[in-house]
Amino acid sequence: MNAPLIRNERFVQIGAPLLVGVLVLLVWQLTVMAFEVPKYLVPSPVDIGQSLVSDFPSLFNALLMTLKVTFLAFAIAVMVGVAASLLFVQSKWIEISLFPYAVLMQVTPVVAIAPLIIIWVDDTTWALTICAVIVAIFPIISNTTLGLRSVDPNLLSMFRMYRTSRWQELMRLRIPSALPYFFGGLRISSGLALIGAVVAEFVAGTGGAQAGLAYMILQSGYNLQIPKMFAALILITLTGILLFALMVWMSDRALRNWHESALKVEH
Amino acid sequence: MTATKIMPLNPAPDPGPDTREPGTIAPRPVLQVSGVDKIYGNGTVALKGADLTVKQGEFVSLLGPSGCGKSTLLRIMAGLGQVTTGNVRWWEQDYGVVGSRGRKLAFVFQNATLMPWARVRKNVRLPLDLEHAGKSEDVEQKIDDALGMVGLKGFDNSFPRELSGGMQMRASIARAMVTEPNLLLMDEPFGALDEMTRNKLNDDVLKLWKEKGWTIVFVTHSVYEAVYLSSRVVVMAARPGRIVDDIAIEEPYPRSPNFRVSTEFAGYCRQVSQALERASAMGEDRDEERQP
Repeated sequence: MNAPLIRNERFVQIGAPLLVGVLVLLVWQLTVMAFEVPKYLVPSPVDIGQSLVSDFPSLFNALLMTLKVTFLAFAIAVMVGVAASLLFVQSKWIEISLFPYAVLMQVTPVVAIAPLIIIWVDDTTWALTICAVIVAIFPIISNTTLGLRSVDPNLLSMFRMYRTSRWQELMRLRIPSALPYFFGGLRISSGLALIGAVVAEFVAGTGGAQAGLAYMILQSGYNLQIPKMFAALILITLTGILLFALMVWMSDRALRNWHESALKVEH
Repeated sequence: MTATKIMPLNPAPDPGPDTREPGTIAPRPVLQVSGVDKIYGNGTVALKGADLTVKQGEFVSLLGPSGCGKSTLLRIMAGLGQVTTGNVRWWEQDYGVVGSRGRKLAFVFQNATLMPWARVRKNVRLPLDLEHAGKSEDVEQKIDDALGMVGLKGFDNSFPRELSGGMQMRASIARAMVTEPNLLLMDEPFGALDEMTRNKLNDDVLKLWKEKGWTIVFVTHSVYEAVYLSSRVVVMAARPGRIVDDIAIEEPYPRSPNFRVSTEFAGYCRQVSQALERASAMGEDRDEERQP
């Protein structure tokens, strides 16, 4: 006999939050209808849905622009962040000398330095990308450095006993040990790259052909196209969720055979 | 301050053909620890005046209370720790010569110390990979032999987490075996295992020791394990860590499980236990002397 659907773990994992979402939308729709709230104040979910369909071409172009900056920034943050971590673990001196500057980048609000970057860098896409990199890079550096240092001391002793080169130690021991930490950094950084891209767009106020979703939100606000504003917001949120899900999937693929975080434990 | 010299990597001189009977004790010294002191940066004296010679083919156990420096001494024997004063010689040479990529030394740690991301076969072949041994038939055969000898044939493709504690430790021993070591250093390898698994692995190690003609230095907390396995039990005292007794176990090999229930075994256990009690009392005396 088939088990009831409610006992299916996968069904519950997807179904439960979906049900909550549908209920919230329903209450939202009914409240807006009952109190006849004008759509320029709070649009109903149906209004937002209609805007998503009718404004799809402009929203889609804006999404592509935001995605372009997000992915570019994320890729650069990963490459530069990993390179910096590899440099840090080569010597405690290098780490001591450079790590405070990585922290400096983390604690400096991007909103404060974005105008400067936009003045300095001619190309808007690159200016936005640099802002997003500054926001996204720290978790990669911090987590990967921690991972590269978190090596089983006995395994390290064994490698030292066999007089391995630094390269062997790095490739065979430090990098595999750092993978769980690295993927943890990726999860945080992917979301931050999107946030960085959106914040930079707000500050830059980019228009014309290079308008991203943040610009779309600003413009819609000025024109009181509130449903379109919500539609852009939904696209940003969905992008963030998809990015996070992609990182979780990648982490699961890489660690599922050996790391506690990705193991399926049977009770 | 004198330290164990780590010499530039030279080709290891050939110690010559090994003509002795496997498992027999020959007079040739494999390891000589002379007047070794180990003082850590915070002033802790881990070892004081340690003198120990291990001869080829011996099975020596280091036994003592917690904190007596057994593991520190073993790590120094493996070339993993620097000494403050004194010196350590392997086959009457420096570690820089004999420890060339660990050809003659292997170390088994307290826990299995396997790479969790690598399958058993990859773990076992690690020392060979580190020596760039390649993937020749000879290398693969060595790995197969090692896995077979520890009873892990068929588990090549398992991940360490899929094995029991005892099996993980077997994989660790197989990894030590593939290097064909002349000197095997084991740091409480079976301390975390249940009694039955421990007894089984004790028998397996004894069998391998005899077959392979290894020299073994074995750190343990267990009097019974030390007596069952060893040709010599070296007793250490704590604070500072030092060697206080050296007891020969003159029971012939192979030792069957019947030895564990014999009067001779009980006699040796009593003798070693008394030595251990004296060693513990020495550490406590020192503690009392330090009281204001």
